[in-house]
Amino acid sequence: MLAQRLIGRTAVRSAFKPSGLPAIAPASRWTRTYATEAEQKDLVIIGGGVAGYVAAIKAGQEGMKVTCIEKRGTLGGTCLNVGCIPSKSLLNNSHLYHQVLHDTKHRGIEVEGVKLNLAQLMKAKDSSVSGLTKGVEFLFKKNGVEYIKGEASFKDEHTVNVKLNDGGETSVSGKNILIATGSEVTPFPGLMIDEKRIISSTGAIALEKVPEKLLVIGGGIIGLEMASVWSRLGSKVTVVEFLDQIGGPGMDLEIAKATQKILKKQGITFKTGTKVLSGALNGDLVTLDVDSAKGGKAESLDADVVLVAIGRRPYTGGLGIENIGLELDERGRVIIDSEYRTKIPHIRCVGDATFGPMLAHKAEEEAVAVVEYIKKGYGHVNYGCIPSVMYTFPEVAWVGQSEQDLKKAGIPYKIGTFPFAANSRAKTNLDTDGMVKMIADPETDRILGVHIIGPNAGEMIAEGTLALEYGASSEDIARTCHAHPTLAEAFKEAAMATSGKAIHF
Amino acid sequence: MASFAAVCRVSSRLAGRRLSQDVAAVRGFQTSVAARAAQNFTMPALSPTMTEGNIATWQVKEGDKFSAGDVLLEIETDKATMDVEAQEDGVMMKIMQGDGSKGVKVGMRIAVIAEEGDDISALEIPADVNAQASSAPEPTKAPASTAAAAPTPAEPASTSPKAPSKSTIKAPKQTYPLYPSVVHLLKVNGLDSSVISEITPTGPGGRLLKGDVLAYLGQINAKTPAEVESRFEHASHLDLSNIKVAKAPEAKKPEKAAPAAPAPAPPQNARVTVPISLAAVLEVQKKIHKTLGVFLPLSTFIARATDLANDELPLPAGTQPTADELFNQVLGLDKVGPKGSRGSYSPQVAALPPTSFLGSRPTKKADIFDILAAPRRVTATPKPVTSAGPSASTTGPNVFSVLVPKKEEKRAQVFLERVKLVLEKDPGRLVL
Repeated sequence: MLAQRLIGRTAVRSAFKPSGLPAIAPASRWTRTYATEAEQKDLVIIGGGVAGYVAAIKAGQEGMKVTCIEKRGTLGGTCLNVGCIPSKSLLNNSHLYHQVLHDTKHRGIEVEGVKLNLAQLMKAKDSSVSGLTKGVEFLFKKNGVEYIKGEASFKDEHTVNVKLNDGGETSVSGKNILIATGSEVTPFPGLMIDEKRIISSTGAIALEKVPEKLLVIGGGIIGLEMASVWSRLGSKVTVVEFLDQIGGPGMDLEIAKATQKILKKQGITFKTGTKVLSGALNGDLVTLDVDSAKGGKAESLDADVVLVAIGRRPYTGGLGIENIGLELDERGRVIIDSEYRTKIPHIRCVGDATFGPMLAHKAEEEAVAVVEYIKKGYGHVNYGCIPSVMYTFPEVAWVGQSEQDLKKAGIPYKIGTFPFAANSRAKTNLDTDGMVKMIADPETDRILGVHIIGPNAGEMIAEGTLALEYGASSEDIARTCHAHPTLAEAFKEAAMATSGKAIHF
Repeated sequence: MASFAAVCRVSSRLAGRRLSQDVAAVRGFQTSVAARAAQNFTMPALSPTMTEGNIATWQVKEGDKFSAGDVLLEIETDKATMDVEAQEDGVMMKIMQGDGSKGVKVGMRIAVIAEEGDDISALEIPADVNAQASSAPEPTKAPASTAAAAPTPAEPASTSPKAPSKSTIKAPKQTYPLYPSVVHLLKVNGLDSSVISEITPTGPGGRLLKGDVLAYLGQINAKTPAEVESRFEHASHLDLSNIKVAKAPEAKKPEKAAPAAPAPAPPQNARVTVPISLAAVLEVQKKIHKTLGVFLPLSTFIARATDLANDELPLPAGTQPTADELFNQVLGLDKVGPKGSRGSYSPQVAALPPTSFLGSRPTKKADIFDILAAPRRVTATPKPVTSAGPSASTTGPNVFSVLVPKKEEKRAQVFLERVKLVLEKDPGRLVL
C-alpha cells in the first residue's frame, strides 16, 4: 500500500518538474487517456474475482496483453474477500473451539478455562484473507497482468471507462473484453440489510459480538455454514427454510435429512417448509413473521441478528451494458452462447454473472476455458462434473445427480451406501456420523452421482469427481486399492456395495 | 429318413460352400495379419426357408483339429436336427455360441476357425461382419438367449449383439490402460485382449467402459451404454436453451440515465478559501538562493505543497459507501489501507484583500476545462489556476482557494489546511 502511494507521488512529482504548476492536472489526464488509446490490449477483464483473476493470469501465461479492472481494492472477489475463504477460517476455528469445549473431555483431554476471543478469531480470518489476496496480486505481477483499481463501465464495444478508486478517470480498450463481475447477495424484500442486525453473509463473517439469538433465512449452504459458526460460538440459532429440505435443491434428499438430524443434535433449530412473511426492527430485536409454506400456522420469531441467506444474484450494476446493447435474461444473467460470447462476439462473460451454478471452482474452470477459446479456439468445461461442498461438521459433499433428480426424470438407478460408523478410521477418530452414498446405472454400473456426509467429505468428493469425469463404474472404484485405515475406505466400500449386486458371473 | 438326411447333408455342404465364399469376401477387407488364418464361421442356412436355429452340441472343442467332412456341430431347427460338416481341414479357434444357444440367426458368427498348423494363441479374431445385421432386429432377445446359454459354465455363451449405433465405425484402438472392471470382465469371460477392438466404447473421449463390455457380452441391453453416455453428454454442457431475455430494464435504464446526466452538470460549486502567509516560504527561498545560488520560484513550493496535501483526503461528504467499501469495513480492511482517496486539487492564489473576489471571477461561465471535465465527478475539481507568481502578495497573507462541488467542501478545506500547514510551518522540507 505504502509503496504504491510513494510510486504515485513520485510519478506526480516527476510530472511537475518540466512544466509549471497550473497545467499539470489536466495535462496528465489527457496524456494518460491518449496513451491508453494508443495501445489496445488483447484482453480487458472487468472484475478481479475468481473468474476474472484466473482468466487474467491464464491470459498472461498465454502471452496476451491483459488488463484486469477491479473496484474492491483487493483481488479475489467475493470468494477470497467475503465468501469461501473467510467463512472457512471461521468454520475451522469455531469447530476447534466447540470441540475443546464439548468434545475433548471424553477423549481424555481436559481443558480448563476455555475462553473465546472473537476479535482474535476475526483477526486470524483477516490475515488468511489478506495473505491470499496479496498472493493473487503477486501472481498478477508475475504474469504481467496490468491491474487497475477502479469501477469499469462500457463506453463502446471496445472501450471501457474506469473511474479510478484513487480519483480520476481513465479508459482502456481491448480486442477482447471479458465480463467477470460476479454476483451479489439477493436481498430479502422488506428487510434492509445494514450488516449489523440484519446481515448478509458479508456481515455474518464480521459480527463484533456473538448474538444471543440468530435467525437464518435460507437453509442453503451459506446459511447452514454461518448457522454452524455462530451456534458453535454460543448463539441460539434458528434456520428458516422455505423448502422441505435443507441444503438447497442440489443436495440428495437422504443426505439432507441425515444432515439436518446431525445439525439438530448440535443445537440448531430448523423450521423447514416455512415462509418468512415480513420482518421489522423491534427495539433491540428483529422480529420475523413466519408462516407454514403451505399456509396455516403463523408465528413470530425474535432474534438479535437476522442473517439473510436466500441466495445470490448476478451483478452487472454500473457496468453500462445498456451502452453497448448487451442483454440480460430475466434473472439478470448476461446472455451468452456455448463459447461464452455475448451478442457482441468479442465481449464474453463467465462466472456468477452468467449461467450455471454460482461456485468459485466453476468460475475458475470457465475462466481458463474462455481464454483458451480466445487464444486457441477451443476450451472445455464439463458441467456434469462440478462438485459441491458444504463445510459444516460433518461436511457434506456431492457430485453428479441426486436420487430425487433421477427419480423425477424416470431414470433407473441402483444405490450403494456405506456408513462411517463401520469405518475403522472414523471409529478411531470418534467421528462416526455420516455415510457415503453412491448412485450408479443399474445395467452398465457407470456412476451417476456420489453423495457424502461425513468427516472430510469435501476432500473425499474429489475421488468421486474423478470417477465421474472418467466415466468409471462403481466396480472400477471397488477394484482400486485404498489405504487402510483411512476414511477413504468408506468410499471404496460404498462402491463395492453398489457394484456387488450388479456383477453376477 | 436316410434320403432326408442326405438332402440335409447336401444343403449343409451348400451352406458350407457359401460360408467359404463369405470368408473369401471377408478376407478382401481384412488387414493382412487377420486375413492370414482366422475366419468367421457363421450360422449356416440348412434349408432355403431357415432363418434361425438352435445349436444342440458342438462335436469339436476349442483347439481341436478337424478335417474336411468331419461333423462340427449339430443344429436344431423346428423341423429336425442336422449335422454340419467341415468343408476344409482346420482348427477350431473359438466357439462364440456355445452348446444350447437358442434362436441363432442365419449368418451370425457362431465360431472362429483357423487353418491347420496356425498357432491359435497368436491369431487375432476377425471382426464380426454380420453382427450388425443380427443384433439390430433383436435387441430384447439378447438377454433371453444369454440366460438359456448360461448353464454352460466353462464358456458363458453370448449372442454377442454388438454395441449399438456407432457400430459401423470401427472402434478406436484402446491405447491407455484399461479400467480395472473392464480387464476383470474380459478375463472372467475368457476373452483375450484382441476382442477389445470389436467393442464400441461409449465413455468420455472414446474410453472403453464396463458397460460397453457388458453390452458386448450381451449381459445388458446393448443400447444402454450409449443412452447413459448421451445423458452425460447432455449434462456436460450449460443449458442455454429457453433463455428469456429481460426486456423491461432496458427501457427503464435510458430514462434513469437521462435525468442523471444533467443532474451533475449544474451542481452548485463552492469556493473554499484559506488565507496563507507565504512569509516562511519567501524566507526559505531567500536562504536557498543565498546558500546554493539557486532561485526556486514560488510555484515550485506551492506545487509540492499541493502534491503533499492531496494525499489521502477525506471522501466527499455524502458519498455513499460502495458495496466494496462496506465489505472492506466489515473485513477491517479499511483500517489497513488509506482512509481517503487522493485528491487532484490545485489552488488559486490571490493577494488579499479580495474584496470583489467572487464577483470578479466568473465562476459560472464554464471554460473549456469545465466543459470537458463537467461529467466527471472527481476530476471536475482541478481548476486551472493562475500562476502563483504574479498575483501572490509577497508580504501579507494570500488567499488560496479552490472551486469545488458543494459536497466536497470539507475535503477541499482539509486540503487547503494542509497546504497552509506545510507552507507556513516548514517549507524548507518541500525542496530539500
